Amino acid sequence: MGRLRAEFSDPESAAAAVDALAAAGVDPRAMELYSRRPLERYPDALRRKSFLSLGAVAGAIAAGGGATALMAWIQRDYPLNTGGMPIVSGWSTGVVSLEMALAGAVLGICVMLLWESGLLSGGGEADPEGLPERGAVLLVSCSRREAAVALPLLEELGAAPRAGAPPADVPGTDNLY
Amino acid sequence: MTTEAPLPAHADHARVRDDLLARMAGASGRYLAAVALCGAVVAWALFAWAYQIRGGFGHTGLRRPVYWGVYIVSFVFWIGISHAGTLISAILRLTGAGWRKPVTRAAEAITVFCLMIGGLFPLIHISRPWLFYWMLPYPNERYLWPNFRSPLFWDLAAILTYLAGSAIFLYLPLIPDLAEIAERSSGLKRKAYRALSLGWTGSSRQWQALERSMKLMALVILAIAVSVHSVVASDFSMSVNPAWHSTIFAPYFVVGAIFSGIAALVVVMAVLRKLMRLENYLREEHFSKLGKLLVLMSLVWLYFTFSEHLTAWYGNRPLEMPALHLKERGAYGALFWAMVACNFALPFVLVGIRGLRSIPTVVASSVAVLAGMWLERFLIVIPALERPPLPSAWGAYAPSWVEVSIGAGTFAAMALLYLLFVKAFPIIAIWEYEDGASAS
Repeated sequence: MGRLRAEFSDPESAAAAVDALAAAGVDPRAMELYSRRPLERYPDALRRKSFLSLGAVAGAIAAGGGATALMAWIQRDYPLNTGGMPIVSGWSTGVVSLEMALAGAVLGICVMLLWESGLLSGGGEADPEGLPERGAVLLVSCSRREAAVALPLLEELGAAPRAGAPPADVPGTDNLY
Repeated sequence: MTTEAPLPAHADHARVRDDLLARMAGASGRYLAAVALCGAVVAWALFAWAYQIRGGFGHTGLRRPVYWGVYIVSFVFWIGISHAGTLISAILRLTGAGWRKPVTRAAEAITVFCLMIGGLFPLIHISRPWLFYWMLPYPNERYLWPNFRSPLFWDLAAILTYLAGSAIFLYLPLIPDLAEIAERSSGLKRKAYRALSLGWTGSSRQWQALERSMKLMALVILAIAVSVHSVVASDFSMSVNPAWHSTIFAPYFVVGAIFSGIAALVVVMAVLRKLMRLENYLREEHFSKLGKLLVLMSLVWLYFTFSEHLTAWYGNRPLEMPALHLKERGAYGALFWAMVACNFALPFVLVGIRGLRSIPTVVASSVAVLAGMWLERFLIVIPALERPPLPSAWGAYAPSWVEVSIGAGTFAAMALLYLLFVKAFPIIAIWEYEDGASAS
């Protein structure tokens, strides 16, 4: 396995190239697009299912539920004089339950963001310093056979030639590395 | 400060980035003087606090029957201003307002700093800050738990949640910019920014996750922001004090918070614009749009104020009227009408009339609104406490030099935190600004 690196001056072309490669049989999981700014349109092949909302809901239920249970236990454990009002009441504990649920949602979103973006494992493989000011860089992990299919397609779709040593195990990558 | 040539409105992305990063480097004499001045005021406030801790609350103007003074007024004021950032940023982000992009980070930073400062006041007010941990729900040796029915405990939960959420809401969109700074740095600075950027590479996977999470965070933050000021309002409205026991206090406080938040954002933007020469980024259109929002919120604030006072006046309840009279035509009458002038008359005339609307008038109105909103908090807290049900218990309150010093110190602390922040992080989100510029 080697890696292809294709640089595009226009993010739209890069997105189109990803979809074209996916249509040509390259595994979408082997491709990644890097840019300095978010893309206007993400290639269909790189659209990933997101579990952020699920993380938010799970965090809210866990934190809100946990806080409510803790408060209910504490209030029963050491009942204060409430002047005839209920020892545990949804009205009075509800505010703290809501706040803790919201805190849990924030935490859930954070954890899911770190997980989905790969930042939990220290980011990605690409060196961000090599990114062009405009446009995007496409990295494809592929075999020799896939590289032979991908190269003409990438050139056709506007990948910019760039000087540099090609990966040793990917033939025909003189203008892409 | 940089003295580069002005940037065109839609400059080249690399130039925008380099221009914004250049403003973080070095420090002018004016900047250092501002830091020194703010530092000196903060140091004086810390001395005053230490003096109060050593001698006790006798050094404050708090006397029977007024046990809540400048500290609680300032607490409500700062928590209100904190709504500037996150709430405004979240609303504008969710509504897709493109003009927000140069404004959002400045706004989000306001939230975090205001919450840090506002959260200090309960600590100062409890007089023995080292016992703060008693508020936390842990079984101590005397087996006393916090009273979860108390709105003061609700405050703790709400403000900590808001602070954590706002800090994350500020940090997440900073990550791509931190990677940019790391790329252009060397040595320890590079390592530090690289670590803060969590290894950001700019992959589409990361961008998609970031954009999705920001939208979701904006929704959650909106709920938190509204709940926080409702909880702060409940400190008053859950009491049996007739002047406070009002059902509209929660929305009234939320409206006031957004109102003062917008004003704070305008003032901060104006200072940054001058201090960091951001005229190309923070343009007249931004001030004009925020000015319109200010006038809108001024009208909403007036509506709530009128409703609150009309209801109290029409009710003519013997327990409530002394406080109302004291506020409107007694010792605080001048402050009350000054508040109305600052919060309504000035912004309505200076910003509401199109011909008069300009950056200086929007900024002047915002300064007036900040003063007016501080007065509003003061007039909610103090007159109601000075007029308890028994006339024999009536009293008066005047803040001591300790309270004034600590109050002034928090303004300086806010400015100091901001001055340090703008040198450590880009005050305009580079990637968002680029995104906005390219999309325009």
